[in-house]
Amino acid sequence: MSTVTLIARDELRLLVRNRVAIIGIALLLMLTLAAVASAWAHQRGIAELRSRHAHAAEAAFDAQPDRHPHRMVHYGTFIFRPLGPLAAFDPGVDAFTGNSMFLEGHRQNTANFGDVRQSSVLIRFGQLTPATVLQAVAPLLLIFLGYGVLARETERGTLRMLMLQGVKRRQIVLGKLLALSVVAMAAGLPAMLGLVAVIGQPGASALPMVVIATAYGAYLALWAVVIALVSACVDRSRDALLVLTALWAISTILLPRAAADLASAAVPLSNRLQTDVAIARDLRAMGDSHDPDDPHFAAFKQSVLDRYGANRVEDLPVNYKGVVAMEGERMTSSLFNRYAGTAFNAQARQNALVDMIGLLSPVIALRSLSMTAAGTDLDGHRRFLEQAEAYRYALVQRLNAMQAEDVSYADDIATDPGADRRKRVSAERWRAVAGFRFAAPSGAALACAALPGLAVVLGWLVVAVGLLGLAARRLGAG
Amino acid sequence: MMLLMHELRLLSRQRLPVIALALLALLTVIALALGTAEVKRQREAIAAIWTAHAEDIGAVADHVELSHDAGSAAYYSFHPTWDAPSRLAFAALGMRDVSPYILRVRALGLEAQIYDGDTFNPELALAGRFDFAFVLVFLAPLFVIALFHDLVSGEQEAGRGRLLEALSGGGRTLWRRRGALRLVLLWAALGLPFTLAAAMNGAGAAATLIVLAVVLAYLLFWVVLAAWVNQLRWSSAANAATLASAWLLLVLVIPALANVAINMAVPIHQGAEIALAQREEVNRAWDIPREDTMRRFYARHPEWSGSAPLGPEFHYKWYLAFHQNGDESVASRVHDYRNSLEARDRAARALGWLLPSVGVQSLLMRMARTDLSAQLRYQDRIRVFHRRLRTFYYGYLFEDRPFSRGDFGRAPRFGGDT
Repeated sequence: MSTVTLIARDELRLLVRNRVAIIGIALLLMLTLAAVASAWAHQRGIAELRSRHAHAAEAAFDAQPDRHPHRMVHYGTFIFRPLGPLAAFDPGVDAFTGNSMFLEGHRQNTANFGDVRQSSVLIRFGQLTPATVLQAVAPLLLIFLGYGVLARETERGTLRMLMLQGVKRRQIVLGKLLALSVVAMAAGLPAMLGLVAVIGQPGASALPMVVIATAYGAYLALWAVVIALVSACVDRSRDALLVLTALWAISTILLPRAAADLASAAVPLSNRLQTDVAIARDLRAMGDSHDPDDPHFAAFKQSVLDRYGANRVEDLPVNYKGVVAMEGERMTSSLFNRYAGTAFNAQARQNALVDMIGLLSPVIALRSLSMTAAGTDLDGHRRFLEQAEAYRYALVQRLNAMQAEDVSYADDIATDPGADRRKRVSAERWRAVAGFRFAAPSGAALACAALPGLAVVLGWLVVAVGLLGLAARRLGAG
Repeated sequence: MMLLMHELRLLSRQRLPVIALALLALLTVIALALGTAEVKRQREAIAAIWTAHAEDIGAVADHVELSHDAGSAAYYSFHPTWDAPSRLAFAALGMRDVSPYILRVRALGLEAQIYDGDTFNPELALAGRFDFAFVLVFLAPLFVIALFHDLVSGEQEAGRGRLLEALSGGGRTLWRRRGALRLVLLWAALGLPFTLAAAMNGAGAAATLIVLAVVLAYLLFWVVLAAWVNQLRWSSAANAATLASAWLLLVLVIPALANVAINMAVPIHQGAEIALAQREEVNRAWDIPREDTMRRFYARHPEWSGSAPLGPEFHYKWYLAFHQNGDESVASRVHDYRNSLEARDRAARALGWLLPSVGVQSLLMRMARTDLSAQLRYQDRIRVFHRRLRTFYYGYLFEDRPFSRGDFGRAPRFGGDT
């Protein structure tokens, strides 16, 4: 057996004899399993609830009686953001965003009823998920178990004895690192069960899981290297513990929050009131369909008349009210998209700032890549909102087209007692409208988006290994 | 006093305590500055409401002038409401980053409007705010651990332990004196910047004193815990590891576990169900005789029942009546929803009696009026305001009075700060 493995085995044997260490590992194991089970149950529960709501909303839409198409524009539809299988590992921002949306004509509503507004203050203490256990709890346990690996030997003078026996510094460091890596693997394994549980799920793809597993593996390896590094550089094990705990607190607790706060202070977001007022202002500048003298709509009307070779709207083969509704929706929707794009770009700039700070703290990079690969980051929410808007627009325009083609202009402006009946189109038409289907991004796309974060974590690992190599050369020299 | 000065001199020669205290003071100052800036930003956003609102209402007035129809005015006019940050909000921003503090409402169905949110970046909200409450609840205990884990064991490891205990005025008295000094210094690192920020924000003496007392009590809890661990006479490293584990459990793990437990114990019928039911009720009105709608409305609101019967043409009083019917049809669901929210909140606050971290956080948020009950009270104020809006427009609609430009100025205004 090589010297390196002997040293590692010796270290592990010492660890196993340490009752506190065993209790710590057992607690972490239980905590992780609890996190896996609760995140799993939560994801299943939410996915099931949302799909039930979505079906109910679709059934309600389909069951609407004969109606004027414009009534259906206002009746609108409710959609729910589905929750991907990887959310059982890292739910990301799911609890912090609204997950249901009411889609109707002329308006772009917010996504409402996020968990964060339905939960107690406790949700702000952080959520218990396999991802957070690996990000925050597992490194601290590793620190407690490993801070003394080299400092202890230095402190007690056993390091010198080992070296007198002809053991090389490199072998000592590698042996200790090996022992720490075994502990890190033991700490990380149960959370990986959360990933394994996801594999069988429909819609789960392998690539993001590979990225996630690699990233967390590299992250825990990074902590093992950093622990060995600090333990090699200080003379007393207590100092190693303090330095490591401080590093942990700064990187996992302090920097993520500080980064978020700095980003939100650096790039302020426009609030909804200002956005809505600005959209209304832009819309007025474009044209007012209610104003008979409005230049935009006068020109629009003329273009419609020209297209059909008619002199009056009454002579058009289509219902002019429906045509105007389509034009109005086109105008409002283009503004919604523009302003939503601006808001999203501002948020993307905020996240880019956080990612920059993430170069200083691998935890930030890991959190962000983990959410990205799981499809539960801001981009995932943005995908939902953009698809929702596209669906809303298509639905409203389809209903407007029904008004233009299937309700005559004469009926539409009539006010006699029977007119209401004549304005309605058959209920069968609603059933022909397909429901909202969220198109999840491909596994490859998610994995690719997570690669920059992975590069940061791996970069940290390389740097730490290099530093450890340097420290190993000076080991015991102080 | 002499002895204390001496201890202070001893402390000032040690690297770790000096760095730790300076760092804590620095982090406190940063958190207070960020919190103050955020509150200022929120106040400015609220102050900017009226310019935007005037522009918006001006355009609606131009449009309504063509018809003088109060229904059009009611339909197109959005009325701003806001929840101004309290004088203490800078210290604990609480839920103000995820719940709207500005919301515009129309005189239509309120249940389709009141749950709307504002724009925020969920990834930043997930990380949480870097405010004074965070520094106190999450970070301060770590500094207590850094300063107290070797209070006794450090001297023992240096070989002075027995000597110090044998001295007259040594032993317990000595540890108490040293402990008290460190505690007071930690308190000052948090409390002095806070007092300054509280004065600048006009938080008031009473609130400031209470927060200072809370800070001291919370620090004391961790000091007592550290003293107890010191008593076990383990090594400094074992003390530090034990205390850090206690921190992990009390600040991260147990609150997260409790959150899961509370959410399972108090299921919430999703608010989305209210929105779905209200919309069904509102839209059904187009398919039932309009007289049924009006009968139901008048039965609940006889004060308007003297209004002229509906003609064959569209009339906004029918439209607004079925919107109000829709709201009223989900009143019991709304009540249940709110009760469940409050039950979750109560459970979390009850936990605060056991867990100082949760207790301090929720106490600060309660004092700063940034917690769930503050959000619910804001919703209550919106409901009251919305009732006034309805009464205002109904006065024109049900009595068929024309609505002119001047009438826009007579619309009720939200009294946000009352």
